[in-house]
Amino acid sequence: MRRFRFPATRRQQIALVLLGLVVLLAFGRPALRWVWRLIVPLPAQPMLPYGVLRVGIDASYPPFGVAAGDGTLSGLDVDLARAVAEAMGVELRFINMGYDGLYDSLRADQADALFSALRVDPLRTNDARYTSSYFDAGQVLVRAPDTGIDEMADLDGLILAVEFGAEGDLEARRWQRRLHSLAIIPHESAAQALDTVQAGNANAALVDAISARLWLREHAGSPLGMAPQYVTGDPYAVAVQPGNPRLWQAIEAALGALRNSGALDEIINRWL
Amino acid sequence: MIFSPRLWQELRLAGSAWQDWRAWGLRLLLVGALLMFLRPAPPRAVLGPPQAVVTFQSLLCMHTRLVDEVEEWKIQRSLQMVRDLGADTIVEFFPWAYFEPEAGDFRWAQADRIIQHAQNQGLQVIARLGLVPAWARPRPEDDGLLDAGRGQDTTLNYLDEAHYADFARYVAAFVARYNGVVSHVIIWNEPNLTFEWGYRQISPTEYTEVLRLAYEAAKTANPEVVVLAAPMAPTLEPEGSPWGMNDLLFIERMYEAGAAAHFDALAVHTYGFTFPADAEPGPDLLNFRRIELVHAIMVRFDDGAKPVYVTESGWNDHPRWTKAVRPTQRIAYTIDSYAWAEGHMPYVEKLCQWVLRYPAPTHSYPDNFTYVTADFRPLPIYQYVQAYATGQALELP
Repeated sequence: MRRFRFPATRRQQIALVLLGLVVLLAFGRPALRWVWRLIVPLPAQPMLPYGVLRVGIDASYPPFGVAAGDGTLSGLDVDLARAVAEAMGVELRFINMGYDGLYDSLRADQADALFSALRVDPLRTNDARYTSSYFDAGQVLVRAPDTGIDEMADLDGLILAVEFGAEGDLEARRWQRRLHSLAIIPHESAAQALDTVQAGNANAALVDAISARLWLREHAGSPLGMAPQYVTGDPYAVAVQPGNPRLWQAIEAALGALRNSGALDEIINRWL
Repeated sequence: MIFSPRLWQELRLAGSAWQDWRAWGLRLLLVGALLMFLRPAPPRAVLGPPQAVVTFQSLLCMHTRLVDEVEEWKIQRSLQMVRDLGADTIVEFFPWAYFEPEAGDFRWAQADRIIQHAQNQGLQVIARLGLVPAWARPRPEDDGLLDAGRGQDTTLNYLDEAHYADFARYVAAFVARYNGVVSHVIIWNEPNLTFEWGYRQISPTEYTEVLRLAYEAAKTANPEVVVLAAPMAPTLEPEGSPWGMNDLLFIERMYEAGAAAHFDALAVHTYGFTFPADAEPGPDLLNFRRIELVHAIMVRFDDGAKPVYVTESGWNDHPRWTKAVRPTQRIAYTIDSYAWAEGHMPYVEKLCQWVLRYPAPTHSYPDNFTYVTADFRPLPIYQYVQAYATGQALELP
């Protein structure tokens, strides 16, 4: 039996090379670049192309980022970025900007990473690579620990205080439809909702973890406490330029070290 | 014995049973596949009979965010909620990058959808035009063929001088397509921020050139269209700042560059931030009545007869943002702003609220500008403004 061979003749070989060229031309520059990359790989990208960690932050969001009148920045995210930079052994520069510009600043190479109370957003994974979460700002129940209220289902027939129009208010209304009865008392602020629970006029308050922690810090003697399980999650993470995996790894490692040493908790407790 | 006849027979029987099970499995799969076709159809967005807006507040207008919606029923539902609110006009973004993905290749399907549904709900559309397609922006690989490293990427806002005329052609194409349907177009957005130019430094003179080209192109396509100069971002950034320029200064410089001849009306963005609607304005202060300072500049340049469209306004009620107020204040200030505009700003044609709803939550304080959640739950601000616009009384808690 005769074996099939291709290209068998010189003419077939030339035709094959020509076909290859036609395909390359048809697919244009991306194909040429792809072939070139096989021969000459890209030089390793420096972790910090500008020699300094440029951190984008929207410093209008206390206690995570606040700008004083003279432009000095402070807050949980500011301290965290400083600790991360120190752990990485690199110099740090903050760039204060509005929320709208944060993700674009990564794309336009204006910032290397964002430390700005950013929640992990699946719709943004093309624009940024998130680290593991360093804080959960989700909704949490605050109540006296001996009431047996640990989750929303325990509130059937009880009274819940919320901040009017806030996420806790919307979540409470959702639960109102699920439970037999749930009375919701809206308040002007989360602090007022928590005051109502303290005064015994509601069984629990559903507020975000930041408000809860700030209130509990200001009322150190209060018998109230946060339920162990959050009702909703709101994980904050650092967003890094997606094309810079080395920087992402370095920040992730620094965050891990801060977490393991207890320094992360110390920073959080300093502000919340 | 391993190969006993009995074992052989049992194996055959087991094989037969397996064949039975396989046959039944195939039948079940077939039934499952048939049942899949019987599942309920996804929600459809059929145009119903034409609707009309019932309102007592003719200034009320809502900025929407519909262009990124994949599902048509969400566009329709959003516009129904605008009508139910009592607003008769929307401001919507029609990005050049979406509708001309290749030079000269226009794909209007999504714009058609939005405009048809808006018409069906009895709503006027003010179209904001901007965002640059990839073909009109420098590509990272343009640093050199077979690049040795990564090039600088550009954002969708990056427009350089070489493509001003291309943008003007898009404006003309849009205006021509929606002639008689969309009567107002806004040329670009917040040109006093470098962010809105992809972090390229731009001057009022350069924006005036963009405006001139776009104005001429729009008027050629439809002489009746009302061309709005871009709204500025309210900001106190000093001249020379890498992030932007004071909005009042930028407008003055535009007038000095001869912009007056190239727009029919001015779009304005004004936010109340932490101030009530009637708080005194000041050059070093950002609040709702900053519109009055903008109009004073128009008057100074003998252009005060032109109308002003406030295409973004509102208050934010996030619990922690430094520029936010409490939810009840947000409601009260918003309603007060209409009374103030009616009584003191006769040049204001529309006062549009930012924003009805986002397609997906941002999970940060911008969510507290919305009137409706991403899953269409109306927030208290929606209910109170609706009551105000439709003449009902609703007491604040």
